[in-house]
Amino acid sequence: MPEPAPSPPAVTVENLTKVFKSGLGKQAFVAVRDLSLTVQPGEVYGLIGPNGSGKSTTMKAILGLLSPTQGRTSIFGKSSTEVESRRDVGFLPENPYFYKHLNGLETLMFYGRLCSMSGRDLKEKAREMLVMTGLEDAADRRVSGFSKGMLQRLGLAQALLHQPRLIVLDEPTAGVDPAGSRKIRDLIMGFKERGITVLVTSHLLEQIQEVCDRVGIMAHGRMVREGRLEDLIAVENETELVLADASPELLAQIKTLIETQGGGAKLVRSGHSRTTLERLFLEATEETK
Amino acid sequence: MKYSSFSPARIWTLASATVTQLVRMKILAFLLVFCVIVVGAGFAFPVMNPEQQLKLLKDVSFGALQIFSIVIAIVATSLLLPRDLEDRTLYTILSKPVPRFEYLLGKLLGVLVLIGVGLILMDIAFSAVLWLRQTMVLAQSIGALKQEGVATPEAVAQLNEFVGKQGLTWNVHFGVLAIFLKASVIAALALMISCFSTSTLFTVVITFCVTIIGHGQSLIREYFLQGHFSNVIEKLLSALLAIVTPDLGVFDVVDNVINGELVSSASIGLMLGTTALYLVGYSVVSHLLFVEKEL
Amino acid sequence: MKRHLQALVVLLLLGSVKLPLEESVTQHLRAAKLLSKPIDLGIRESVGQMSFAAALGGLRSLIASITYLRAYRAWENIEWAKVDSLFQITTRLQPRYQNYWDEASWHMAYNAASSYLYNEDIEPMVRGKFYADYIQRGIDILNEGLRFLPDDARLWNALAEIYDRRVHDPKKAAECYLEVHRISHNDRYARFAGYQYAQTSDPELWQKAYTLLKTAYYKKQRQPSVIEQIKNLEDKLKLPLMQRIPEKRQALEQPQGMIRPTQ
Repeated sequence: MPEPAPSPPAVTVENLTKVFKSGLGKQAFVAVRDLSLTVQPGEVYGLIGPNGSGKSTTMKAILGLLSPTQGRTSIFGKSSTEVESRRDVGFLPENPYFYKHLNGLETLMFYGRLCSMSGRDLKEKAREMLVMTGLEDAADRRVSGFSKGMLQRLGLAQALLHQPRLIVLDEPTAGVDPAGSRKIRDLIMGFKERGITVLVTSHLLEQIQEVCDRVGIMAHGRMVREGRLEDLIAVENETELVLADASPELLAQIKTLIETQGGGAKLVRSGHSRTTLERLFLEATEETK
Repeated sequence: MKYSSFSPARIWTLASATVTQLVRMKILAFLLVFCVIVVGAGFAFPVMNPEQQLKLLKDVSFGALQIFSIVIAIVATSLLLPRDLEDRTLYTILSKPVPRFEYLLGKLLGVLVLIGVGLILMDIAFSAVLWLRQTMVLAQSIGALKQEGVATPEAVAQLNEFVGKQGLTWNVHFGVLAIFLKASVIAALALMISCFSTSTLFTVVITFCVTIIGHGQSLIREYFLQGHFSNVIEKLLSALLAIVTPDLGVFDVVDNVINGELVSSASIGLMLGTTALYLVGYSVVSHLLFVEKEL
Repeated sequence: MKRHLQALVVLLLLGSVKLPLEESVTQHLRAAKLLSKPIDLGIRESVGQMSFAAALGGLRSLIASITYLRAYRAWENIEWAKVDSLFQITTRLQPRYQNYWDEASWHMAYNAASSYLYNEDIEPMVRGKFYADYIQRGIDILNEGLRFLPDDARLWNALAEIYDRRVHDPKKAAECYLEVHRISHNDRYARFAGYQYAQTSDPELWQKAYTLLKTAYYKKQRQPSVIEQIKNLEDKLKLPLMQRIPEKRQALEQPQGMIRPTQ
């Protein structure tokens, strides 16, 4: 067997600029300015930034929904302007909606057929996706009765149906309750284990930091920071020490030790660790189940 | 997984989704209204001469068929793109390997299937009422002749001929075909306009205007071709209108079909050809407008 | 933006290609009598803007039916002027539907004319004038209809009957019956024309009548009225005995009144 050629990056964005022309007499709006980024196969890349920072525009350009004013975008080496580039990508838009008159299974069948799937193969795959996203009970329910979290998961099922190598998620946890968003994060972790590349945007930093390998921070259409998550958030000159069941005497000794032999080291803060509200919420709701 | 850049199966998937989408909008409620109108037209008018009664029934029914098909063609088509865009279903569809022209063709096909099926159903209902009415009118008239003692074989034969000409014939269905072809052109036109329009209302209004102008296009065209206008501006304007709008009058054979004129196969061929020309032309323009549309 | 320009170019190209095509398709369909001539713009004032738009939009037949119904109602209310003007609109909308012409002229030449003739509220002199005027109106309507439908036997027959029964102009009635015969090839109309010519006072026309009736006679149409009329004409034309039909003698022997099916 010949040596496989080095696979191209899952996503490449080169010097992307997108200008939206507005009506007569109004100024054109620059949504994205000279943006470049690369996502390697198997990586989970988080694109974060406040609303209106250009994340969605970048995503739409990658998916070929928008044409760039300048620059290029490609998926696994194929330009986004080619329809074929979308064979390997699944997309979950922000707050997805589906044809209300279809039920869960029919929705997946519809999207499967659009991906040239058919017959038993499609039906099995659709059922599998419903199970994976925890929607097996909703297979025969009309989409019009779905909650926001269910819609989001159906959106994920739809994006995964044709086994893409890249998944693009736009604000997957926006407006979803913590349990739902936990589920979605677990799913993302699962993709990573299966070697699927993930590109995810969010304006909720907390939720994304657990799952991302690399993060890009956007503001006003530009990339302001990019790198590995640990590198970005580590505070270089501080060290954290978390103790359980420490007696007040022990704590006093440690304090003295720092003061006497610290050699310039300072204690910045001490006190009880706090759980996050989110963790508390999750624990409490898990218990009531 | 195989991938081809053109797939009738994908287009059909989109078309059938469009049909169900429109059916759920209760668009076919029109069918019931139609049936009421036809039955009303068949039985509610004062007794006149038998021919005129059947003509009136056909006039009203064909009128309702035309209005149904044109309104659906304009309104349903205008709704489709904005709706998908608003619901963001367009994003999920177009982020699949679906070329944009397939999406457009699927939508157009869906509307055409809906109008076609609607027209077939209405044609069946209308034919049944017409046949029933025709039989009744004939029996009544022959009865009247008998009462007057003048029911000679010739008189009955002539009555049969008069009523038969105004009654149910294959020709009537060709009239329905012409209505369908006109609606197809209007649907393609509406789709084209919705590709650059920014609101549903705009699409509906503009398509409606073009449809009205299209019915008088032959007047404008003939004035222009025969050089009736001396003023340069008038000339240019009339030329532009004639070029930009379709001649929908070509499909208005219904008036004369009602009158009993026979539709030749050559005429059907010409109407089909004209329809094909418009459909292809407008679809190409729609594609060019839609392929770069920012979503 | 480039694509938008392309779209515009395609639209204009399509438009210029389609113009001559549309023109020839229209001409073909008009020749096949499937398309009507363009609607008369003058009708707009009479039917109103909405109806005019509807008539343009392929609902011409329906609008015609509606104006016809209104004319029918006017007839029930004995408003002759209204009947006339509504039928005028109806026939202008659908000039190729012979029934409208036929009925319009019938209303004028028979119903309206008689209604005035027997109207005791009107001075006798005026009554006569109205009677004649409305009959003439009926004739005018039919003549106008015949401009659109020169080969319509029904309209020619209606015209013949008006000349025969209302105007008592046998020469014109005969000419109209001959037109019916030309179109329908039904020999009874040639016979009718013969009867009409026989009623004139012009010997030349008697000759015509004689020829027509003799033709009928040779075609085995030997109804008593035909034989009677032929004998009559032979007398009027003073034909030598040898040229006359044999029934001159036989008629006395054979029973009368048998009805043969007319052809």
